[in-house]
Amino acid sequence: MNENIDARGLACPQPVVLAKKSLETSDTVIVIVDNETARENVKRLGEKSGCTVSIEDKENGTFTLTLSRTDAVQSPGDITSVPLSSAAGPNVFVISANTMGGGDDELGELLMKAFIHTIFDLDYLPDTLIFYNTGVKLAVKNSDVLDDLKQLEHDGVEILVCGTCANFFNIKDDIAVGIVSNMYDIAGTMSRAGRIVTP
Amino acid sequence: MMSLQSYYIVLFKSVSHAMRAEKILKNEKIPFKIIPVPKSISSECGVCIRFTPEYKEDIEAVFNGTVEYSDIRELN
Repeated sequence: MNENIDARGLACPQPVVLAKKSLETSDTVIVIVDNETARENVKRLGEKSGCTVSIEDKENGTFTLTLSRTDAVQSPGDITSVPLSSAAGPNVFVISANTMGGGDDELGELLMKAFIHTIFDLDYLPDTLIFYNTGVKLAVKNSDVLDDLKQLEHDGVEILVCGTCANFFNIKDDIAVGIVSNMYDIAGTMSRAGRIVTP
Repeated sequence: MMSLQSYYIVLFKSVSHAMRAEKILKNEKIPFKIIPVPKSISSECGVCIRFTPEYKEDIEAVFNGTVEYSDIRELN
């Protein structure tokens, strides 16, 4: 079955989203796009999905991509999700700082807030979130992400907050979510984890 | 519970604009949340500010002349 998609004028990532959807039901998908970014993104999707991709550059600045599924390849899974089937233990997120990445702290704090908010949208919620070092500052009562953390806890995510760290920063009484925990629990949880994610 | 709430988001031209806006809203004690720009709007790695509808006028007022934003729109 063939399907034609006219993705001209559509902003990224719409052309890719539409093409991906069509590939779930059609063996051949023809996509017309009007810019090079979309061309490259759709091409990449096709290759990732095990299709042969042919591209026709038209003179009017549009590109016609033909994605043809080869017989051996099944329908693509969600390219944004990674199966956890190989993980043999809990999915543990370790938040070792109140910043995401090193370099610029102001940017890092912003990224961390966005990261924590995004946990809700993940296909696989963590089983446990561990906060240590400056990460514990995210679990205090005036934290910008307190609502998110409370909701995660409500949804069944275990939250461990390093007591030594809270003590060090003198915020032990301000910890407003999770269990104030110790190195035995934190090290034990990490050692039993099927996989550890550290933003 | 969360899906029943409706939200608006403010989009910015750059991350530094979003950072400035964050500072301003904190000072004004207007509740908001920093979230990644929804994928349906842009695939670029950006952040935006999410707030509940009752603060729309306040936010427009405090941003007026202090920080440039590209759009305020309803999130659905």
